[in-house]
Amino acid sequence: MILLGFIASLIDAASPLFNRYALDHFVAKGTLDGMPVFLMIYFALLIFYVLENFLCTYICGQVEMSVDRDLRNLAFNHLQELSFSYFNQHNVGYIHARVMSDTGKIGVMVAWRLMDIVWNGSYVICVVIMMFILNWKLALMVSVLVPIVTVLIMIFQRKLVVVNRHIRELNSTITGDLNEGIIGARSIKALAVEDRIHDDFKRDTENMRRTSVRASHYSALFTSSVTMMSSAALAIVLWRGGYITMQGVIHIGTLAVFLTYALNLMEPIQWIITTMSEMIMTQVNIERLTGLLDTASDVTDSPEVIEKYGDTFHPKRENWEPLHGDIVFKDVSFHYPDGEEYVLDHFDLTVKHGTNVAIVGETGAGKSTLVNLVCRFYEPTSGQVLIDGRDVRERSQLWLHSNIGYVLQTPHLFSGTIRDNLRYGKPDATDEQIWDALKLVSADGIVNRMEKKLDSDVGEGGDMLSTGEKQLLSFARALLADPRILVLDEATASIDTVTEKAIQDAISTVTRGRTSFVIAHRLSTIIGADIILVVDDGRIVEQGSHRELMAKQGVYYALFTRQYEELAWDRVTLLE
Amino acid sequence: MQTSGKRKENKAKEMSRSQTIAFFLRGSVRFFVIGMILSLLVALLDMIGPKIVQYTIDYVLGDEAGPTAIAQYAIMACGGREYIRAHLYIPAGIVILIAVFSALFRYLYRVFSSMGAEKLICRMRDELFAHILRLPVSWHGRNHTGDIIQRCTSDVETVRNFLSEQMMTLFRVGILVGFSLFFMISISPSLTAMSAIFVPVIIGYSVFFHNRIAASFLKADEEEGKLSSIAQENLTGVRVVRAFGREQFERERFETQNRGYTRMWIRLMAWLSAFWCSNDLISGSQIMLVIAMGAVFCVRGRITTGQYIAFVSYNGMLTWPVRELGRVISDMSKAGISIDRIRYIMNSEPEPLRTDTDEAADTAATTDSGAATAFRAPCTDSLGAAPLDIVFDHVSFSYDEGTEVLHDVNLTIPAGTTLGILGATGAGKSTLIHLLDRLYDLPRDNGTITIGGRDIRSIDRRALRKYIGLVLQEPFLLSGTLAENISITKPGEPDMEAVREAARVAALDETVDRFTDGYETYVGERGVTLSGGQKQRTAIAQIVMADTPVMIFDDSLSAVDTQTDARIRHNLLEHTAGSSVILISHRITTLMQADCIAVIDHGRIVEQGSHEELLALGGLYRHIYDIQTSY
Repeated sequence: MILLGFIASLIDAASPLFNRYALDHFVAKGTLDGMPVFLMIYFALLIFYVLENFLCTYICGQVEMSVDRDLRNLAFNHLQELSFSYFNQHNVGYIHARVMSDTGKIGVMVAWRLMDIVWNGSYVICVVIMMFILNWKLALMVSVLVPIVTVLIMIFQRKLVVVNRHIRELNSTITGDLNEGIIGARSIKALAVEDRIHDDFKRDTENMRRTSVRASHYSALFTSSVTMMSSAALAIVLWRGGYITMQGVIHIGTLAVFLTYALNLMEPIQWIITTMSEMIMTQVNIERLTGLLDTASDVTDSPEVIEKYGDTFHPKRENWEPLHGDIVFKDVSFHYPDGEEYVLDHFDLTVKHGTNVAIVGETGAGKSTLVNLVCRFYEPTSGQVLIDGRDVRERSQLWLHSNIGYVLQTPHLFSGTIRDNLRYGKPDATDEQIWDALKLVSADGIVNRMEKKLDSDVGEGGDMLSTGEKQLLSFARALLADPRILVLDEATASIDTVTEKAIQDAISTVTRGRTSFVIAHRLSTIIGADIILVVDDGRIVEQGSHRELMAKQGVYYALFTRQYEELAWDRVTLLE
Repeated sequence: MQTSGKRKENKAKEMSRSQTIAFFLRGSVRFFVIGMILSLLVALLDMIGPKIVQYTIDYVLGDEAGPTAIAQYAIMACGGREYIRAHLYIPAGIVILIAVFSALFRYLYRVFSSMGAEKLICRMRDELFAHILRLPVSWHGRNHTGDIIQRCTSDVETVRNFLSEQMMTLFRVGILVGFSLFFMISISPSLTAMSAIFVPVIIGYSVFFHNRIAASFLKADEEEGKLSSIAQENLTGVRVVRAFGREQFERERFETQNRGYTRMWIRLMAWLSAFWCSNDLISGSQIMLVIAMGAVFCVRGRITTGQYIAFVSYNGMLTWPVRELGRVISDMSKAGISIDRIRYIMNSEPEPLRTDTDEAADTAATTDSGAATAFRAPCTDSLGAAPLDIVFDHVSFSYDEGTEVLHDVNLTIPAGTTLGILGATGAGKSTLIHLLDRLYDLPRDNGTITIGGRDIRSIDRRALRKYIGLVLQEPFLLSGTLAENISITKPGEPDMEAVREAARVAALDETVDRFTDGYETYVGERGVTLSGGQKQRTAIAQIVMADTPVMIFDDSLSAVDTQTDARIRHNLLEHTAGSSVILISHRITTLMQADCIAVIDHGRIVEQGSHEELLALGGLYRHIYDIQTSY
């Protein structure tokens, strides 16, 4: 590729020589001898140049796209194995930009920027050499301008880079404003604050306008100075070159070549410098991408485990034991990687298979911690989590996850059909099994109401469905996978009472025989649970059955009675 | 006066392409005109450069007799041939002088055209955004956020480029080609003819190719979008992917799409390079022809050496802009699509301030800066500061010709009382209050909603919405500090004492205390992400701060745990004493203290009365109550 670029620039640099030959040979001597040969060579070179040029750009494009593709795959695959602490510390937009845009920028740099530098660099060198061969005195005078141009361009370039960065920031602010104005349209209208929002927006666009105009001053100065310098080179050649032409030192053809070179020398220099500064900016992209690729997962399978069970992408399913569902927390202490405070402190808990564990507590009290440990999204700081009597770390993550069903507080569906989504955890499920699962959670009505039934499209992130519907479907999806361990993370928060009751009935059917963890707001959901864990301020403060905890008259008792005291009081007065 | 204003607004409602462009160009067109004049000057000066070189070579270095009067005059002006020969710095000096002016004009040209372009895009953004703010909620429901944003960003950009760059390029290239041809013809018409034959060929070929490739570009963009959303979904659904152990599936899905996308681009690149190179071949042949034929002409004595050199440089000036022209012309076809996409927004009908009566008020509100800023007009209407009776009278409603969401609803909320609304998801609870706040408009024959006896359709929307404080089910917080958000309805700097009090009522104070920056914590899309419950409480604080005579809480406590729920209700009860309150929930504990509770089922009010009455009734309310209390 570099060679091709070099050859191309060589031809570029050589082409004015034809003009010179035509001038000196035909024009000056006044003869047309050798014209056919001249034309043939010229044309052959032209064809060669065109073909070579084609190869050059084609290969560049291929290199760019292949580099892009491989980097994207690398980044994406790495993300599949990274632990949750990474996802908690970086937002989706940030990670997405690493995978999609940084890789693209690096691809462009590796292919086109490199080619630009080679091409333009060798062009400049060729031209300078050629000029020195033709007439070193004249060449020296023109070359004096090169460092001046370089310095000038670098000054403006630096200013431009700064302003352009500012413009990019402003641009994302404006897009953010738009986004808010559109997503928040309902809120803005309900609050009747349109004028205020519009004022803020106008302030940002005005700011953008000013900055952009400022940037245009720099870039205009930049281009003007480059053309100015080209003219200066032209003037020098005309003045000094004119003299020596009159003295007969050089022919008119050579003078013409010089004039062309003088005019064309400055632009490649400008290109080289611009390209180099772009390459410097790409440095940031490279750093960010390698930052992602260098991040090691907090949770990894040991080589022995991989040996036996296979890794994430090459599982050895034949070696997988069935999962029974006994879970033991043995002297577990834990704090999150980004925090200092211990959330669990020498915690012990035994969950027999088929047990229904409920976790209750205030909003944001850290109710997910236990579940995160069971799912091995995080590993304990000290102590052990045992599944069927063996440390979770002794078997592969994929083995564990294949046995877990998960329903999230904010349900997440993938774009595609309902069938695709429901089969996510069990790719070979038949339609019959799908309908059974749907009926169990009384979501069959939702699907039946749709025109294309299971083939209906759910839209991006499932946005054709309401939150309640998404929850029911994600519930059916979890059931279909027939997991040994079922996790319900506040799954009933926004379903209306009647539907909720239907789900509760379904839950009690499906949790039978399965180890399950339910994280819930409403205490009515979990009264029947075998073990209730009460979390307060990130710590487990109480545990026991509903009856035991009520008898204890502690935090749970307070929570429970407060939730129902108004109704209880009401019931009494009603009876009177 | 009013009639002409009226006609203007009607016109603004259905703008054609050219009207849209003219509307946006208002204020920036003068910059473009100056830019064009400057570019004319630049082109002219660029043309003189080769002329000087030609004259120098022909008449100063060579011995040709000056054929044209201009050339002779120019040489005489500089002191005659001999003098210039002795002082060759004179032509060099002229070259420099011209270069200085050319650089100056070039600089001014770029600055002016950028001033125009920025003014234009600024106006486009402002007007579009203002219009979007005025469009009804139903419009927002019909259109995807991503799509609207794309119209406001990349389509606006396309139109800006079309007007400020492509049109200018077209103009510049036209001048350049015209000048080049003019000078070339003055040197040798027949040689010019040979060179000019290529011009339509190059343009035609380029336009043809770009049009053909446009579809492939579109397809490649779509593929990229798919790839991008696979990554996006994988990242947002990372828990689901992991929990189901589907990493390998995700990997295959991504790699397949990635491979297909890459292959598509490589093929596209191959086409592109084939185009560039064949174009090189055409223009290369053209240059070759000119050099060879020029040499022949020169040898035969039809043109001078200087003319030959000048001709070759003019020809060089011709080929580049012509090649560019092909690209510009095919890009321009894209601009048409973008203008239509923007027109779609500008031509969507905004919410009128009122629906019937006083249309004149609407028209008067239309200012010169555009129809969209009507929300800036002074609001003359007011409902006062005291709660009034709210009456729903035989209200029926359906969205977009669909099934009826509300059917014959009759409800009276006496001033200062609390109404509870209970119903299943999709029963029509939210619709009822969206109608009251005129987020959706109740059509003529579907009953009436009155406040203090006035039909809400005759009340200025802004007055209505300032009178009613509505906390939405899924509130949206704007980027800014917590304090700014809470006091958003109050102009100027937030009154911290009032903000604190509002936060206390909404049970937000303890949460805020836990933030390092307290009320100065930056929230919203670009700040700290609050949990659903925290957002809801912030929205409640907003309404508490606004202290409106009517307050509506649309399931605003759903994401808050029961304990906090109770605390907020207790606080609100104190705070809202004297205001009319509408509470919507499917949690009976939230509603039971209301003066009156309406139970909505499938768009109808099926039960209505106090908590005790409804329990005694033994209907749906009782049923839900039993479920919620069965422990």
